Amino acid sequence: MFDIAMTRGRWIVEERSLTGAAPHRKGGSTHVHIVRTWILVASLVGLWGVVLFGVAALKILVMSVLCAVIADMGMQIVTRRPGTGRLPRAVLTGLLFGLTLPATAPLHVAIVGSLIAIIIGQGVFGGFLHSALVGRVVVQAFFVNSLSLSGALVTSPILAPGYLLVGNLDHAEPVADYQGWLTPQPSTTAEGYKIERPVQTLRRFTQDRVPPDDGNFYEPLVRDELPPWKDTIFGLVPGGIGETCTLMLIIAGVFLIHRGYLRWQLPVTVLASAALAASIMPVNLGADYHWFPVLEVEQGRAVGLAYVFFHLTAGQLMLGAFLLAGDVVASPMRAHGQLVFGAGIGVLTIFMRLYGTLEGECYWAILIMNALVGTINRRMKRPVLGLAG
Amino acid sequence: MGRGIQTQPCSQFLVPLQFPLMSSLFNLLGPRKAFDGGLFLPDHKSVTSRRAVELLRVDGPLHVPLTVRQDLKTEPNVRVGDRVLKGERLSNSTSHESIATHAPTSGKIVELSRAWTTQDGYLPCAVLEPDGREEALPQHQGWEDESLIVQLAEHGVMCSEPRAPLHSVIKEAVAAGVTDLIVNAMETEPYLTADLRMLVEEHGRIIDVTCELADALGVSRAILALPFRHRRVVKRMEAEAHGRYVEIAAMANPYPQCQPLVLVKALLDCEIAPGGRVLDKGVIVLPLAAVVQAAEALLDDRPITHTVMTVAGDAVERAGTYRVAIGTPMRHLAERVGLVGRVAKAVCGGPLTGLAMGHEEAVVTATTKALLLFSETEPSIPVPCIHCGWCVEDCPVGIDPPSLMQLESKPNCTNLEMSHLKACLDCGLCSYVCPAQLPLGETIHRTRTRFEQQREPACLT
Ligand code: SF4
Ligand code: SF4
Repeated sequence: MFDIAMTRGRWIVEERSLTGAAPHRKGGSTHVHIVRTWILVASLVGLWGVVLFGVAALKILVMSVLCAVIADMGMQIVTRRPGTGRLPRAVLTGLLFGLTLPATAPLHVAIVGSLIAIIIGQGVFGGFLHSALVGRVVVQAFFVNSLSLSGALVTSPILAPGYLLVGNLDHAEPVADYQGWLTPQPSTTAEGYKIERPVQTLRRFTQDRVPPDDGNFYEPLVRDELPPWKDTIFGLVPGGIGETCTLMLIIAGVFLIHRGYLRWQLPVTVLASAALAASIMPVNLGADYHWFPVLEVEQGRAVGLAYVFFHLTAGQLMLGAFLLAGDVVASPMRAHGQLVFGAGIGVLTIFMRLYGTLEGECYWAILIMNALVGTINRRMKRPVLGLAG
Repeated sequence: MGRGIQTQPCSQFLVPLQFPLMSSLFNLLGPRKAFDGGLFLPDHKSVTSRRAVELLRVDGPLHVPLTVRQDLKTEPNVRVGDRVLKGERLSNSTSHESIATHAPTSGKIVELSRAWTTQDGYLPCAVLEPDGREEALPQHQGWEDESLIVQLAEHGVMCSEPRAPLHSVIKEAVAAGVTDLIVNAMETEPYLTADLRMLVEEHGRIIDVTCELADALGVSRAILALPFRHRRVVKRMEAEAHGRYVEIAAMANPYPQCQPLVLVKALLDCEIAPGGRVLDKGVIVLPLAAVVQAAEALLDDRPITHTVMTVAGDAVERAGTYRVAIGTPMRHLAERVGLVGRVAKAVCGGPLTGLAMGHEEAVVTATTKALLLFSETEPSIPVPCIHCGWCVEDCPVGIDPPSLMQLESKPNCTNLEMSHLKACLDCGLCSYVCPAQLPLGETIHRTRTRFEQQREPACLT
């Protein structure tokens, strides 16, 4: 038994505090928090991209974000539908779009792309397709010359050691016998190296354009043509601003998963199914189709495994798995649905990479699966307690 | 704020296992989640769960409701100016369903008027001015029939879920031929600690009374469902139940595990059709509070005049679990316990399923579980659904709240949609998690009520 003599607080008389429906407390994670966290991790990846590709990358990122924001404001005025939390979403769209572009892309590509992302992706499709990717594939089609991997521009630049962040990609030079980013190149004083993108090498390989060496097919690819595996982990290969750095993307994804804003099932299935598809799908070598490339062993080395590994880290797929596929609006509602969705993305990406000619295969794969989200959601309903079946 | 990530569906719950190896594993790892969905909420119990239950001395006029539910009729047994002793009848029941009410303390009846209760609106009440002497009636008046049912009815024991007098709940259950009794001590809602404190302080009596109730019900199994988290309590109860026929089921406590339907699914793996009751499957689920009150009536032979409730929230100075006289005005209670700053939200019951207080003069009733006072409201600005799927994953029954929300503007719905609406337990978890801050649970509740009213006349014709 106890007595309290004094009370410091005042008892309320306001009507408002006595009404309202349950629940009276909320979970605390609102859409604003979700988008903010996504922006945070995307800018981390972008930051690393700026270190790798220099100020040109920063210009592209800033330009795409700016244009996205301006386009979104314009849309709000035109459609007369101001909404809460739209600005952060436009920033995120612009940022993600910028991450998919290579730093060598001209600025007008970034401008057009993010305008399209907002106006068509967000305005017309209403976010049901990933808006940043809508912008990306459209500019890919418009600006073939500056974005394409094949054709005139076969090599793309990466800054050399000692020139990170401050170097200029225009002063990059092709390297004859590239041994890896860390291996010193005595013959050149260029600020960057111009080499082939790993994705492109893989494509060339599957089209049987890598000459076999001594009857070995995979050995020359892994030994001579592709950069060392460490380079693809740290992103020291040419490619999109946010595409190359596997490690940074994994950190970003793990942080999102930790906050609960990305389900772990999604990136895991994307990567697992891509690895599986790359392990199984036949490669056209020497006028013959080789099934199960993963089992390939040449000169006592498991080159097949290396081949599959490069498929995962060579570009786009990591960015797609961790930052693009998991878009809250455009991915399936349930974890079960996301398993199917992720598997589709992984398999389609590898399929298009091996046999297709479209570039940006991972982006196309995500867009195709986005279009199927409605169906997946309908098929993957939860059984209701008490209603049998 | 991070969100508890616990949405993986798990396999069937395992009730205590026979093999020693398995059971030590069980002790080590804890039980798995027993149903799809649900969420481990931040529970805000650390302070209140450590404080012993304190008796709040009556020191102001009480507005004791003369009946426990709007439709249960009673007639007053006292007149203005009467002096009553503690435990004396204030009203007599006039029907078989109804129960009597009693004076929580000795004093004078100054007025017969009406009092606001959160669950029932206005009820007739007697205003009792205590004299501070706490004089009690001599124990036991002696009834002609000493059966458990009569004792429960005469002592006025109330059950909070289903909200009816306990004796009529038991009579109905016996008539329906129940085979399992589950005593629900899960209390998974944040802030609430009354059940937990009762488990700690009255462990022996709880087991005794559960046995007695099980006898009266004629069930073949009696299960006491406890949160596994509180291992010492579980150990204690297991020791206490040793050799009795009450089984102790220690379960994981993701949020709506305290809902009877979910509990039955987890413990007995039987699913109840939407809109149905657990009684349909021969199961009766009694809240622990009712069992504790029954203990008071059956073991101590005392009428129910107090209720054990949690007073908590960030506007409360001395949060804790209190034994409060029925009829104490909430405002008085809050001032006794102490307020810190301004109260911006007053809730009777848990934060997810409780009702807003509704009226300033609300009083404590026999089924009040808690009074929560918060110093800030949580403004919510709903935006369109962003398809995150959190509500779908977390819903304990597996319905799709955003699609049901669209029914709000429709004139009609299909039978399937209706059964989904009926399956909703009103647990409020979907509104709790929704990042778009949509009022999902509320809307589903409202829509269901509307359609039910629409359909009823159609059924009659
Ligand atoms: S309130 Fe209804 S719909 Fe919402 S989570 Fe609970 S049971 Fe599911
Ligand atoms: S939790 Fe809210 S935003 Fe997410 S799917 Fe459900 S209704 Fe939509």
